[in-house]
Amino acid sequence: MKTILVVDDELGSAEVLALILEEEGYRAFCAVNGALGLAKAIEVLPDLVIVDYMMPLMDGAEFARALRADPRLAHTRIVLNSGLPEFVIRDQFDTYDAFLRKPFKVETLLAVIQRLLSTS
Amino acid sequence: MNEQFHPAPVERISSSIPGLDLILGGGFFRNGVYIIQGLPGCGKTIFANQICYGHVAGGGSAVYVTLLAESHSRMIQHLSTLSFFDVHAFPDKLSYISAFPDLESGGLKGLVTVLRREIRTRKIGVLVLDGLVAASEAAPSDLDLKKFVQELQSIAVLSDCTVLMLTSGSVHRLHAEHTMVDGLIELEDKLYQERSERAIQVVKFRGAGPIPGRHAFRIGNDGIRIFPRTEAIHGGPVTDGASPGVTTSGSAGIDALLRAGGVPRASASVVIGSTGTGKTTMGVQFIHASSAAEPGLHLGFFESPDRLRIKARSLGLPLEALISAGHVELMWAAPGEALLDELADRLLAAVARRGVRRLVIDGLSGFVESALYPDRLNRFFSALTNELRSRQVTTLMTIETRDVVSSVVSLPLGISGLVDNLFFLRFVHEEGVVERLLTIIKMRDTDYAAGLHRIVIGAQGIRLAGTVSSDGDVIPSAAPATPAGR
Repeated sequence: MKTILVVDDELGSAEVLALILEEEGYRAFCAVNGALGLAKAIEVLPDLVIVDYMMPLMDGAEFARALRADPRLAHTRIVLNSGLPEFVIRDQFDTYDAFLRKPFKVETLLAVIQRLLSTS
Repeated sequence: MNEQFHPAPVERISSSIPGLDLILGGGFFRNGVYIIQGLPGCGKTIFANQICYGHVAGGGSAVYVTLLAESHSRMIQHLSTLSFFDVHAFPDKLSYISAFPDLESGGLKGLVTVLRREIRTRKIGVLVLDGLVAASEAAPSDLDLKKFVQELQSIAVLSDCTVLMLTSGSVHRLHAEHTMVDGLIELEDKLYQERSERAIQVVKFRGAGPIPGRHAFRIGNDGIRIFPRTEAIHGGPVTDGASPGVTTSGSAGIDALLRAGGVPRASASVVIGSTGTGKTTMGVQFIHASSAAEPGLHLGFFESPDRLRIKARSLGLPLEALISAGHVELMWAAPGEALLDELADRLLAAVARRGVRRLVIDGLSGFVESALYPDRLNRFFSALTNELRSRQVTTLMTIETRDVVSSVVSLPLGISGLVDNLFFLRFVHEEGVVERLLTIIKMRDTDYAAGLHRIVIGAQGIRLAGTVSSDGDVIPSAAPATPAGR
């Protein structure tokens, strides 16, 4: 069973997403900012993270860079998402595996997850 | 030993919302903590965002923190349709973050911690906290909430940040946090029969007296635009620098009836009469006398600019040359849908822009239709005519009366007290002949030829054609089947 970590300061949407992922057969965890996300990632070693960009304490780009810098986590698939357009995010971090513009349909996200996890 | 005390002035921070800085006397006080309160749908979110984007456009940084409020992506989607939205504000100058997890896990202390940290690390000048009610509900007591606000105030001052907290509900129920904050602004959207008007009121503002009362505002593509109440900003007494002398009414015949040879400059005249009696014609005549020295402005509610041009041509008073030379501007407003103060604002802005000296308002009822409660109108018109007078504008306004069945003129709105000069137009028929009569009811400070003057309207505009001795039977409302004066 694959593990997915959802990192988003908007707690309600993070929790709903985690519940949906569980129903789809994944093991899902949540964190509400990049710092807590990093700690959780080290703990559960997710196969894929879905991370929001604008967050308090540590934003999504900083979190993603920290992930890539850690040998235990460097190969985790990263799905960045934001209400902002992609070009704004790309300036901050560009080695993500997928970008989703919010609001997105959950089917879109599930398809992206499936595609990314099937090649790992 | 005997040092002078120089109070350190508290700096202001512009709100970037048109009209608001004027109401606040210069803007928010820097590093203050303010509450913006209003029911859902009143415009709080746009209000706060407009301030953020304005602050960023001025070179600053801002953060919009939500508790249980609208989702960030939805908010961005909606805001991106407004002209003040700037995607380039992200990510360095503006962010949307949620502090709800910190509130949920750490209570008010957790909330203060995240706010303090974000203010300092992002070095922001404006912070919005959207959803204060979630914090209020998380507070174990009123005292805890007051302590929270006070901590926020300390952080704001130490970190040079101005804080706006948004909350729903009404200011009329006293909440603990109301007593602590530096200011309290209420937004509302009030229903008057079938129309609604958005209004803002600065209920509390420490350190200065804001312009009191409710001020109307609109939400459009450029966000919020506030129109401070006309009576409140233009209610002062006229500085007596009135330039002496007279100016033409536009009709030589009418000028000849006035001892001074014209209407006093900067005076306000009203032409009253039922439909078809020639009020608009008098207005066209008046505006046709505009020049480079006396630029003119015609504000109409009923005749479109095109129809007015056609009418002017048919009177032998074409306006095209004057318009293209920039001596005349034709303005039109839809009667009844504009806000009263918005109309006044548009009018005075146009007057200022071109140094207007001759103004025609064709159809005062256009203003009357816009008023949501008629009690205001006297004060409103008083302030407006006062302001026009102080700007040296000679004004001619037309009012339509319904059924005029006698020569007794009863004026709507108590207008007679507000205007300097009063002209009355009506149709009468006597022994089968229809006449168009002009009576001068009053002229301030100048003599005039009293009496019932016969006027003729034709290809040279208005001509005087003698007087009649008796009134005849006044023809009510409708224009006669055989037009007089042809």
